[in-house]
Amino acid sequence: MLRMRSMPVLCLLIAACSQNPVIDDEMMRFEGAMPANVAGSWQRNYALDDEVNAVLRQAYDKLSRTSQDPRFPGGPGIRTTSAKDMSSVYELALLAELITRPAVLTISQNEHEISIARKDDFAISCAFYDGVASGIENDYGAEICGWDGEQLVSNLILPDGLQITHRFTMSRDGAQLRVVTTVSSSTSRIPFTLRRFYTKFERPASEFNCIETLSMKRVCSTGEIVL
Amino acid sequence: MTWFIAGPRVLLVSRLVILLMGIPVQLAAQGLSPSEADATPVTGAGSHTALNVSIAVFDPGVPADRSLHRDLQVFPRIREIEAMFLPFVLRDTLANTNEWGAVRVVPLPDVAAELLVSGTIVRSDGENLDLRIRAVDASGRVWLDTEFGGAATDNYAKPDNEPSAQGNRQLFDEIAESIRLARAQLNNKALADVAEISLLRYGDQLAPSVFGNYLDRAADGTFTIRRLPARNDPMLDRIRRIRGTEYVITDTVDAKFQELHTEIALIYDMWREYRRKVVEYQMENARWAQDTKPDAPRGSYEAMKSRYDNYKLERIATQEQDSLAVAFNNEVGPTIEAMEVRVAELEGWVDMKYAEWHRLLEELFEVETRLQQ
Repeated sequence: MLRMRSMPVLCLLIAACSQNPVIDDEMMRFEGAMPANVAGSWQRNYALDDEVNAVLRQAYDKLSRTSQDPRFPGGPGIRTTSAKDMSSVYELALLAELITRPAVLTISQNEHEISIARKDDFAISCAFYDGVASGIENDYGAEICGWDGEQLVSNLILPDGLQITHRFTMSRDGAQLRVVTTVSSSTSRIPFTLRRFYTKFERPASEFNCIETLSMKRVCSTGEIVL
Repeated sequence: MTWFIAGPRVLLVSRLVILLMGIPVQLAAQGLSPSEADATPVTGAGSHTALNVSIAVFDPGVPADRSLHRDLQVFPRIREIEAMFLPFVLRDTLANTNEWGAVRVVPLPDVAAELLVSGTIVRSDGENLDLRIRAVDASGRVWLDTEFGGAATDNYAKPDNEPSAQGNRQLFDEIAESIRLARAQLNNKALADVAEISLLRYGDQLAPSVFGNYLDRAADGTFTIRRLPARNDPMLDRIRRIRGTEYVITDTVDAKFQELHTEIALIYDMWREYRRKVVEYQMENARWAQDTKPDAPRGSYEAMKSRYDNYKLERIATQEQDSLAVAFNNEVGPTIEAMEVRVAELEGWVDMKYAEWHRLLEELFEVETRLQQ
C-alpha cells in the first residue's frame, strides 16, 4: 500500500490523467458548512433511471457523428463508426451498468466526512478537513471528492486511464437524489454516462438498540446497552 | 509573659502539624482503602540503586493534521487507549525484574520523580509497535532517549507462565534492559544523589522558601546538590510524609490503570489480531492482483473490471478495519470513561490538597522561623 497520500500527489495524478481534471482546486475546498446534506437512506427509483441500451445507442450515434473518414483527415465527419470504437464504448457501458447496480444507498454525513455505503461494493468516502478535500490513495487507485456548487462529485482514478465519476445531486425538496455516473478510459474516444435516481426513505425504527463489539460481535438490547 | 506571646504561635504550629498529620483521615474520606493504596509495593528502602520509577501515560503520537490519520492508519481514540495501556505493560516488565523500587504509572509526568519514563507511540498497527522512550532522573540526567520497535506478536492477556506467551514482550524487555544498563553507568553515590535531589525538588515545589536553596540548576537544566538539610529537619520529615501521601494517591491511580489493563487486555489482543488479519488480507489481495493480471486486452470489460475490483477489495478491507475500530471503542469505551472519571477525581483531590499543603507548609515555615528568632 502507498502510505504517503497527499494532495500534491493526487493533483499530479489527476493532471496526468486528464487535461481537464474532473475535480479542480476550486471544487476541493469550501467555506463554512458543506454545501448540501445528502445524508439518509435512498432507494432506487427504477422508473426514472436511464435505460442502458438507449444510452448506448446514443453513444454510438455520437461516435458516428464525430467519426472522421480516415482518407480525409480534418475533413467533415461522416456517419461511419469503427467496430473498435463501438466495442470500447460498449465495454464502458458494461462497467457502468455493473457499478450503478446498488438498489439502496445509505449515506452518512458529518462535519468532515460523507460516506456512501453501497451493497456489494466499497463505500464512497469523502473527507474534508478545514474545508479542504482529503483524497484516498492505495496501490490500485486514487479517489477524491469535491463540490461543484451543491453537487457532490466523487472521482476514482484507476490505472490504464480508467476513471469513474459520480455526481450526486439532491432535488430542492430533498426527496430525490440523482446520481450521474461517468466511466471513461483512454481506450475509448468518448465516455459513457448513466443516470440513476433514488428516493429518500425512512428506515423503520428498530425496537432494539444495537452496537458492534469485538468479543461479542453485535450486541442488542431493548433498553440501554450495558457491556 | 513570654509564654503568653509564644502560646498562640505554638498553638498555630500544633494546628498545622495536626492538619498535616491528618492525611490518613482525608484519604479515608476519599474512599481509599488500604488495599487500593498499596497497589504498588514500595521496595528498596535504604537502597539507592532501587530507585522509584514513574512511567507517565504515553503520548499517543496522533498527528494534529486529521487528514493524515487515515493515511497513516492512526485511529486516534485507540491510540489514546494504547497510550494508557502500554505504559502498564512496561510497568509490569520493570517491576518483574525486581531491580527497582516502586514502579508506578502516572497520568502526568512528575519532574521530581526519581526516574521518570515517558514514551511516544510512533507506530502501532497490530503487526508492529514502535515506541520512543525517554528516561530522565530527578537530576535532569537523560538516561535514555531511543526508539524501540519490533513485531508485536505477543498477547497481553496471556499470563507470562503460559508457554505460548514465553519469550514474548521482547520489545518491553529490551526497553527494561536498556534502562537497567543506563543505571549501571552510575555509581551508588550518583544514585543516592538522585534520590536526594528528587525529594528536594519535590520539597521545592511545595515549599520553595524552605527548599529553594538546596539545589543548583545548571544551564542545561540539570540539578546538583548545593547543601543538604539536617537529617532531623522537621520540614524534611513533613515533606516525606506528604510525598508518602501523594504516593498513596498515585498508587490508587496506578491501581486504576491496572484494572484497565486487566479489563481491556483481551479485547485489545482481539483488536490487534483483527488488524493483523486485515494486513494479511491486504497482502493476499496484492498477491491476487499480481497473479491474476488480466490477459484480456487493455480497455476490455474484463481488464477494467479487474482494475476496479482490485481497488474495491482494498477499500473494503480498510473500511472493515474502520468498523473494527468502532467496535473496539464501543466495547472498551465505558471502561475507559469510568477510569478517566475516577483518575480525574483523584487528580483533582491531589491538586486541591497540594495547594493546601503548599500554603500550610509556607505558613508553618514562617511561624517556625519567627519562633527561632
